[in-house]
Amino acid sequence: MADKMIVIIRKPPYGTEEAFAGARLALGGLVSGAIDKADVLLIGDGTFNAIESQVPAAIEMPSNEEALENLMDMEGSVFCVIEDLDLRASGAKILDGIKLINRADVRDIMDQYQVVNTF
Amino acid sequence: MGILTIQIRSGTMMNMDSNVALKLAKAAIEKGHKVKIFCYGEGVTLIKAGQNPKRFPNVGDILEELASSGVEIVVCETCGYARGIQRGEEIKGTKIGSITNDFSQFVSESDRLVTISR
Repeated sequence: MADKMIVIIRKPPYGTEEAFAGARLALGGLVSGAIDKADVLLIGDGTFNAIESQVPAAIEMPSNEEALENLMDMEGSVFCVIEDLDLRASGAKILDGIKLINRADVRDIMDQYQVVNTF
Repeated sequence: MGILTIQIRSGTMMNMDSNVALKLAKAAIEKGHKVKIFCYGEGVTLIKAGQNPKRFPNVGDILEELASSGVEIVVCETCGYARGIQRGEEIKGTKIGSITNDFSQFVSESDRLVTISR
C-alpha cells in the first residue's frame, strides 16, 4: 500500500489545466491524511511553474504560484530540475522554498515514492 | 492479487483513452485484481448518465457494467461542477467525490496507480 506520492508536472502553468490540477492533487493528498508524503517535481516546461510573480489574473486563471505555495505551506516539497529551468528562463527568480535539483538526481528522488503521477 | 487504481483524465469522446482505461480495468479484474477508478479533469465526463454515441463504444454503459460488478468509480466533484455535471446525473453505482477523501484513499490502499491521459 502506498503512502508516498510524487506528482511530476511537465506542463507550463497556463494554457492547459494540467499543472494546476497536479499541484492541487498533491495538496489534496496531504490534506487527506491518507498519504504521508505528497510532493511535486517540476520538469521540462513544468519548470515555468517555479517562476515568481506570475500574474494569472491577466488571463482570468487561477494561480499556479499560489497552488505550489499552498503545497509548501503543508510541508510538501517542490523540486525543480535546474537544467530545464535554465534552458527556459535562465536567471529568473523562483518561488521561495523550491528545491533546485540536477537532472541526474531525478531517479534517486523518484525512488523515494511508491506512486508517481504525471501531469 | 493486488489493488489497481486507474486515474482517467481524458473525456468520453474524441480519443480512445477512456476505452483503453476501461479495457485495462476489465483485464485486471479478469486476472483477479481489485480495481478502483478515479476520474479527474475532463475524465469526469465519463460519469454522466445517458451517453448515446452513434458509432463509438458507449463508455457510460461499460462504466455502469464495471460499477455493478463492484468496481469503485469516483469522480472529482470540483471538476464535475466546473463542467456542469450535478449530483443525480451520474451513472448508477458511481460516485461524485473528491481528491481529498477518495483519490487519496484509493492511492493509500493501492499497489499500483496507472494514469490515462494525454
